[in-house]
Amino acid sequence: MNSPFGTQKQAGGRRTMSSGASNAILLLPALSLCMIFIFVPAMLAISGSLYSYGLTSPTRDFVGLGNYIKLVQDSIFWVSLKNNLIIVFGSIVLQIGIGCVLAAILDRGITFGSTFFRTIIFMPVIVSAVAVAVVWLIILDPNIGMLNKIVQSVGLTPPSLGWLGDPKISIWIVLGVAAWQQTGFMMVLILAGLQGVPQERYEAAALDGARGLRAFWYITLPSIRNILIVAVLITTIGGFKVFDFVFVLTKGGPANATQVLGTYTYLQAFTLGNLGYANAIAVVLLLIAVLIGWLQLKVSRQA
Amino acid sequence: MSYLMKNRSRIAAAGLALGVLGAAGGANAQEIKMWNLADAGGGEAEFLLDAAAEFSETHPGVTFVFETFPNEAYKTQIQIALAGSSPPDVFFNWSGEDAMRLARDGLALDLTEYANAEGGFAHEMSDGWLSSFAIDGRYYGMPTHAVSKYFYYSTAFFEEHGLSEPTTIAELGGLCTSIREIDSSIVPWPLGNNDRWKLNHLITMLNHRVLGDAGTAADYNLSAPADELFTNPGYVTAWQAVLDLQSAGCFEGAPNATAHESANAMFSAEASPMIYCGSWCAAQFHGEGFTEFGLFRLPAFEGGAGDPGAGFLVPTGYQVSAKTEHPELVAQWISSLVSDENAAKFASTMEAIPSNATLIDTVDGTEHYKWIAEDMASATGSVNVLDVLLENNVSNAYLDAGVEILNGTKTPEEVMADIRAVAIAAQDAM
Amino acid sequence: MMSKFRITKIALYGIMILWSTFVLMPLVWMVLASFKTRREMFTAPYDLPSALTLDSFERAWGVGLGWFIANSALITVSSVGLIILVSGTAAYVLARAKSVWLRMAYIAIVVGFAVPVAAVIVPLYQMVSAAGFVNSYVGLIIVTSAYGIPFTVILFFAFFLDFPKELEEAARLDGCSKQQIFFRIIIPLSGPAVASAAIFQAVFVWNEFLLALLLLNSPGRKTIPVGILQLQGEFTSDWPAIMAGLSLATVPLLLVFIVLQKYFVRSLAGLGK
Repeated sequence: MNSPFGTQKQAGGRRTMSSGASNAILLLPALSLCMIFIFVPAMLAISGSLYSYGLTSPTRDFVGLGNYIKLVQDSIFWVSLKNNLIIVFGSIVLQIGIGCVLAAILDRGITFGSTFFRTIIFMPVIVSAVAVAVVWLIILDPNIGMLNKIVQSVGLTPPSLGWLGDPKISIWIVLGVAAWQQTGFMMVLILAGLQGVPQERYEAAALDGARGLRAFWYITLPSIRNILIVAVLITTIGGFKVFDFVFVLTKGGPANATQVLGTYTYLQAFTLGNLGYANAIAVVLLLIAVLIGWLQLKVSRQA
Repeated sequence: MSYLMKNRSRIAAAGLALGVLGAAGGANAQEIKMWNLADAGGGEAEFLLDAAAEFSETHPGVTFVFETFPNEAYKTQIQIALAGSSPPDVFFNWSGEDAMRLARDGLALDLTEYANAEGGFAHEMSDGWLSSFAIDGRYYGMPTHAVSKYFYYSTAFFEEHGLSEPTTIAELGGLCTSIREIDSSIVPWPLGNNDRWKLNHLITMLNHRVLGDAGTAADYNLSAPADELFTNPGYVTAWQAVLDLQSAGCFEGAPNATAHESANAMFSAEASPMIYCGSWCAAQFHGEGFTEFGLFRLPAFEGGAGDPGAGFLVPTGYQVSAKTEHPELVAQWISSLVSDENAAKFASTMEAIPSNATLIDTVDGTEHYKWIAEDMASATGSVNVLDVLLENNVSNAYLDAGVEILNGTKTPEEVMADIRAVAIAAQDAM
Repeated sequence: MMSKFRITKIALYGIMILWSTFVLMPLVWMVLASFKTRREMFTAPYDLPSALTLDSFERAWGVGLGWFIANSALITVSSVGLIILVSGTAAYVLARAKSVWLRMAYIAIVVGFAVPVAAVIVPLYQMVSAAGFVNSYVGLIIVTSAYGIPFTVILFFAFFLDFPKELEEAARLDGCSKQQIFFRIIIPLSGPAVASAAIFQAVFVWNEFLLALLLLNSPGRKTIPVGILQLQGEFTSDWPAIMAGLSLATVPLLLVFIVLQKYFVRSLAGLGK
């Protein structure tokens, strides 16, 4: 054998490098990148949240927990957190729910054209969220938008303040646009799981009289339990990471009604220049991330 | 919009060409990176390009990189860039609190020495203009021109229906009602507030008309005692005036979801007979082939303390990054932009009111330009706009307040309570 | 009378057609609208364009779309290469690890996957800026890669756990070092995992927005998502040009997907493990 690293091979199968050093060479590049660009900034965010300082200001003042005291009294922070939760739970229902139904139909419901449908429904996943948001921005426009026309054509009245201008519905529209893009991803993920379910299980169930919806409920869902857990985890993490859709569709508006933690951090940091306070919001996001990461570990160990 | 595009590709091509020149110029090649607003309108790109070519004749070895950003993103992007490691050498800015903060935080260069040197911009304009970017007599920026804001109206529509220019805010509302009576589907005055600043400009002027300079100054610069900040009932009156205009049918149904460009398009396509738009809009409407319009100032508020002769006025210009490697060269470059000849050229291509008005009489502008120039010259006072005048957090609160008012989600009293709370916190942090 | 079976079939096809139409309509309209004139966009936004004019494509291209695409391609190829290389080696070590320390390193990386960029954006920006890497491709590539690593490590980790150990054992007895085993035994047999990880990361990096928005502030350096935003900011009322820009930026990618869709779908199958 020719070694790609020159001639390290020695007689008798002795290794030239200790296992530890070998491990280090293979592991350290990835680990150090994660440390430097994920964990160090996370620590700095925590320490930075104890100060008050501006984006352009040369000095910073220690304020202790001052930023956090301000945070719990800040109604926009609570709106942001609530919106993140709406997106997490709404996406679980819409993306995984609809994804599940579509996948089940593709798996056992229809045969002709299934690749065609699968390809089309997955397509938006490839498109950047920014592009998706810009297209939808025009569809949702109150003056010439397609959605208004469609709603009017079936005899309903579109919201007078505009789909994205009405604070009562705008976050649900953001959720809907995200579902438009991401449902295909969940569908294909779940489909992969469904195709791994052995045919015999359905046959056995059919003998017991379980067909159609009953088979789906009693056979299919339990069989893809692991994949559903992965799907829920990915959706939850995505729901807290959401930034692009909100930033492009509404910039957090109208009047902060669609603000999420990510965009609120950005607003405080880079538009208003309150870096210390932005860090405090970020720390809440970090705590949530650690919590989900821990859940993910628990689950992956079980699986 | 297509002329902008042509200019942009020309800029790119010429930038490249100048770059080659610069490289040929030898060892002392110096690059000036300059940021401008993307939607400044008119022929700004072309003007800068010509000025750059001229400048590099006398300053061999200089290369230029011009970069532009859309209005909405500009304020955020400039802060981020200046705080970062790769800021532009020179950048467009509005006169106001943002510009002053950059100076206080040491990110905008003190240009006083360069300005007073021979050929420096201090010799090109009045002290009044110079003060727009000055702190304690030190210049932290160079004003190039000022923008104002007017009502534009379709002369044909007004004539056909016997409408006339209003003299009070109440009459303005009445005008809207009359237009709705002619055809209820016509939006008399499209607002386009989805970027939040359209209404901010209106409330700036209404605050002034109701309260006057003296009634607002101490609140705007946060020098009033905490228990008095933004407590003057006039602020509520001003918001109420917005609500009255809205209920008179002035605005489109979903102003917070409509882009300001859509609103402009509604006016220039003659779907709407009236719009409150910047002085820069005249050139834009001309560019879109619509010229049959008249102008009037935002009218007086009956019983208000503000001087109806005062106009919306925002001086704009350039600031220089404190991190620039060649401050003197950059100062010479911006000074060259306000030379007598260049200022006149700028005025004619941009239909703008230049800071150096020496050769203004030679400018052969459109009738609208002349009207605007005369009106700005005759204004008895100037009102700077809230979103650049106020401290960042207070400014943001005012912008949000406008959205809440138009959506009817908060009353004038409630939004003023919000603004007051933010202002008190901002004052505390000062 | 129709059988119950056929009614069910029709209903199932109905659901698929409904969702597909919902998904397809905005995309088709995006392409159609690119050919409209600005006036048509207001007067007849949902009719077919009256003529196939390419004006709006020209306007969109003039903003520098070519640069955005080139920048995105450069950043995607470099980042994906870096991510795959370092994540593959790391995941291999971790999947064979017995020590507590390595176990903890894996846990740290898994937790790292849940960390949103927005949560660390302030210190991250200051770090990159202090290092003088704002507006540099290298800066963005390294930072973007760091955020692609956790997911890829998790993906590879699952794959390597199932990898038959006999081959490795034989190579080890043959005197191969861990690096040699990895590059000569594991990698050649990991084609599907590598392809799957590369596809995932290519999609993520190509579409990454927040880091690119902050770290590249020069228009000539922008990537497609940030460039699209610039396009939208400059042409707010010129919708045909915006749609043309979006079409130019997304349609080629969609075509690549349609050709390679089998692999995309397969890459997802690995996730459930």
